[in-house]
Amino acid sequence: MNRKLINGLLILIAIAIVVIISTDFIGNKAGQNKSNPYEYNIEAFKQVDSAKVLYNEVTTFPVLADQLSGIAVSDSSVVVAAGNKLLQFNFIGEEIFRKPIIDTATCITMDGKKNVWIGMRHFVAAYDLNGTLIKRWKSFDERSVITSLAVSGDQIFVADAGNRVVYKCNRDGLIIARIGEKNEQKGVPGYVIPSPYFDLAIDNSGFLWVVNPGRQSLENYNADGSLRTSWGVAGMKIEGFSGCCNPAQMTIMDDNSFVTSEKGMPRIKLYGQHGELKGIVAPPDLFDAGSYYAPDVAVDASNKIYALDFARKQVRIFKMK
Amino acid sequence: MSSKEEPVSHSRRRLIRNGMQVTLAISLIGIAGRTVLKSASDDLVWQLDPFKCVQCGRCAKECVMSPSAVKCVHAYALCGYCDLCGGYLKPDPNARTTAAENQLCPTAAIKRKYIEDPYFEYVIDEKLCIGCGKCVAGCTSFGNGSLHLQVRHDLCRNCNECAIARVCPSEAFSRVPSHKPYLIKGDFKKG
Repeated sequence: MNRKLINGLLILIAIAIVVIISTDFIGNKAGQNKSNPYEYNIEAFKQVDSAKVLYNEVTTFPVLADQLSGIAVSDSSVVVAAGNKLLQFNFIGEEIFRKPIIDTATCITMDGKKNVWIGMRHFVAAYDLNGTLIKRWKSFDERSVITSLAVSGDQIFVADAGNRVVYKCNRDGLIIARIGEKNEQKGVPGYVIPSPYFDLAIDNSGFLWVVNPGRQSLENYNADGSLRTSWGVAGMKIEGFSGCCNPAQMTIMDDNSFVTSEKGMPRIKLYGQHGELKGIVAPPDLFDAGSYYAPDVAVDASNKIYALDFARKQVRIFKMK
Repeated sequence: MSSKEEPVSHSRRRLIRNGMQVTLAISLIGIAGRTVLKSASDDLVWQLDPFKCVQCGRCAKECVMSPSAVKCVHAYALCGYCDLCGGYLKPDPNARTTAAENQLCPTAAIKRKYIEDPYFEYVIDEKLCIGCGKCVAGCTSFGNGSLHLQVRHDLCRNCNECAIARVCPSEAFSRVPSHKPYLIKGDFKKG
């Protein structure tokens, strides 16, 4: 009797050992998800009050391209710079054309004459709405990294992250003024640009707004290049701009509200003209887990917001509820 | 009558002597060949591709060395020298200071040094670093990704089967030639 009991116990122990070893072996295999005690956890900041979400996502369409650079919207179409191609879509996402451009695009905007201005790394080129090259500027310099463009009448504002300056140019690329360089006499603190995210836009009154990404703020300049005002607060909470280089993208609506888009924890928000948070356009949970890039944003005449989602390779359109 | 045949004992002795000479020659040729081959070929060492790394924390837990032979390294040329550093400060810190409650690193292995307004330099104290990759996750998300993990070869035992490589969820570990043992960001490109 005793012998049978001992044998049974030994068999049970043997089975338990085999189970433990196999579980450990299978559980530790590459590709298995295990809890990480050192996890960089920002989940709490991704939760937002749904009452603050002012927009619904109404349309989505794919952009079939390897590399996406930026988006702009006119009253008749959506244009996307995708690597060394220019793509045009109608508002339901049908591709009208895709045409080669002379270099890899870094940013894109449209002017009132429906010309498409595209920033390349060192220079700027202009195309008509059929994708025909109409202008190519000379390169600024080797250090230049053009990250954003805005057009106001006959003036083109060019953000150069490499040289930490905004150029005010005429339509032929002649530099009329350099804006935002550190100048203690004028009270201009200078741009802090840790990475190539350096966006700008023109408001409804014709004033230039430039993101100062290292200071997590937006700065407003007079025509003579002096600093007029600025706003912005750093922070992971919904009112703030999270981490370095945010807001990585922004645009301005007709009523001078700001649409901002952040990297790291992608989220799109709407701020009033004095920098007060009005609400959320796209909360973080609308973006794929592990997606770092800030969607580029554009606004159409009906105040719909267009987000170019670099992770999903989609244009996502948001309309106020 | 004289016989020209050798005695049997002599013949055996010669056979043994010849056999030993051939064996010795083969051994010498083998050793020489192996030496030449070894000097011509390159040894391989374990390294992780920082572009594949997903900062899962296993480098800190699975390495046979304690603390891990995987350490955070800093590509200074890529660093933005940010005041609000995602790799140094906890998400939403109380203040941008060196106070312990504001630091992300569980072992305070990153040193923050003021350069000029608003720039700060970040230096890794490798003796304190456990290779958890928490700072790498913060820097990759909110910075330029200049902080990244590497196997330090002065610490690595170069095991036949690397304990971390076996469990790495992104298959970031591979053997690389010992004459180029590091995959430092900025020195090589993704893919």
